[in-house]
Amino acid sequence: MSVAAQSEAPLTRTRSANWAPALAAACALVLVAATAEIVLDGALGHSILIPKSPQLAGWLQGIGERLGYRVFLIALLAFSAGYAGLALLSRSVSKRWAIALIATLHAIVFVGPILLSTDVFSYIAYARMGVEHGLNPYTHGPASIVHDPIYHYVGQSWKKTETAYGPIYTLLSYPFALLGVTGAVWGMKALAMIASALTLLLTWRCALARGRDPVAAIVLVGANPLYVIYALGGAHNDLIMMALMMAAVALTFSRRDGAAAATVVVGALVKATVAALLPFMILAKRSRAQVLGALGTLLLGALLAFAVFGIDGVNIVAALNRDAALVSSDSFATEIAHLFGKPGVFPIDHDLLKALLVVIVLHLLWRTWRGYDWVAASGWALLAISVTSTWLLAWYILWPLPLAAISRDRRLLAATLALQGLFIVHQLTPLFAPVA
Amino acid sequence: MSARETPFEQRLRGLPPRLRPLAEELPGPRRWRIETAALVLVGLLLAIATVNDVVLGTHVNHRLVADLHTWRVYTGHDYKNVSTEQDVEHFTTTDVVCGNTTPGPPKERTQICLQMTGPVVDGRRAARGGWYLPAKREDLYRYRYACFGTTKAEGACPR
Repeated sequence: MSVAAQSEAPLTRTRSANWAPALAAACALVLVAATAEIVLDGALGHSILIPKSPQLAGWLQGIGERLGYRVFLIALLAFSAGYAGLALLSRSVSKRWAIALIATLHAIVFVGPILLSTDVFSYIAYARMGVEHGLNPYTHGPASIVHDPIYHYVGQSWKKTETAYGPIYTLLSYPFALLGVTGAVWGMKALAMIASALTLLLTWRCALARGRDPVAAIVLVGANPLYVIYALGGAHNDLIMMALMMAAVALTFSRRDGAAAATVVVGALVKATVAALLPFMILAKRSRAQVLGALGTLLLGALLAFAVFGIDGVNIVAALNRDAALVSSDSFATEIAHLFGKPGVFPIDHDLLKALLVVIVLHLLWRTWRGYDWVAASGWALLAISVTSTWLLAWYILWPLPLAAISRDRRLLAATLALQGLFIVHQLTPLFAPVA
Repeated sequence: MSARETPFEQRLRGLPPRLRPLAEELPGPRRWRIETAALVLVGLLLAIATVNDVVLGTHVNHRLVADLHTWRVYTGHDYKNVSTEQDVEHFTTTDVVCGNTTPGPPKERTQICLQMTGPVVDGRRAARGGWYLPAKREDLYRYRYACFGTTKAEGACPR
């Protein structure tokens, strides 16, 4: 290296050290502005992107304009670009600033309306069916409470559908029925916020335990566009499942294998998908405590579910099979079908996708047995579930994200973020050709 | 052998080396390359499929906007609530657009449906025929009447 080059090297580093925090701050501002734009415009209601909802953010009305596809998609793209910048510059973000940014995004979404999904109203409907009407949400859909005030807010497609969520989640939601409809929505929003805070706290701890940068890990998860706008904005119970998933990982890292396996089972009794972690965890640790913890919790959970909901509360497999048959236009399976000139996904495609998923999971199990990082294997399995599912929603591609943020295999993070990017790209059609 | 090894782990030691569980994965650059190549290929396929879907969706939206515009120009009614229906049976680009013949809530008046075909030219498509529907009826074959244009010869109406 020349003398001139030697003298310039520290200068370049100093310059980059100077501009990086400023650029990261600019990215953070973009995230806050994009979230505020969506929430303020959404507060006005009367938009295809904002589900019909009880009055939540009335005091925000009048500041923004009606949220249309164009503004929403531009804000989502800006958010995504800011997130990409932040992810690249995460080393320049201090712990305090990262927490402040994530807390601000959470606060903005919390005070706003329910965004993009009616699922939270289904959660409340199931709770009200059980508490107010004495109906079993595993045998009846919200259509059985047409005179209840929550009924009008439940999505059209779900009015006749029984709950697909686990019995622990259903029991957890029951107290919210006592708060009235508006109170229950606020309660669900608060629950989503708490679950998100727990997920991020546990992601931080797991990143530290693995020698990864905890600030980068929480920025990757807590400032993610799909996480903030879709999962938090819709107060989805996937956040509770993810909190329990990260609790199980943290417990494994602190060598409490039995409690970790029990926590995965509790998570699966909230939303079944997280059960995918259990075989990888058991194969990696091979501890008797795990098997006993999992079986004991499963037995207790099944007894509780049977006592409260009868046999239908125990039969989660039936609900999973029902949901697996659904097809969404955003699923990668549908996109590939269109690419090959097919109008959509056919029953044979469901079978092929299930077979592909089995092959992937078997490969990952074998790799885990031979010493591959079980956290990464679990993340790949969750990612494979979302890619092979014919019913794909934004918050499904979030499942592997906290695992990817702490994984030893960085390909998992790249793959997860790439798929999220493709999901966002797929939303852009109305931007290029708006329908009048 | 570790003092804390369980009988189960002792039994696993009896497995052939290639089948034994390992605490740490052995380095395998070839395997890593194969897996990464497979991931890149899958990623490419998904990316192409996504872009293809966006392009298809854009074309469909473009066509539907032209359909709505054409209906308004042909009927002379600038109604907002006009419904479009795509050919989901044969997946052609022939669309049917229905709307009220007189002002009123959606589908609450006698409706006129136009069948749109061909490319979008100057923001419009060709309406080569159509039919009427009674008020409060969906566009089902049994409700159609007074077919006109090409749909008359095609037998799109039962009467």
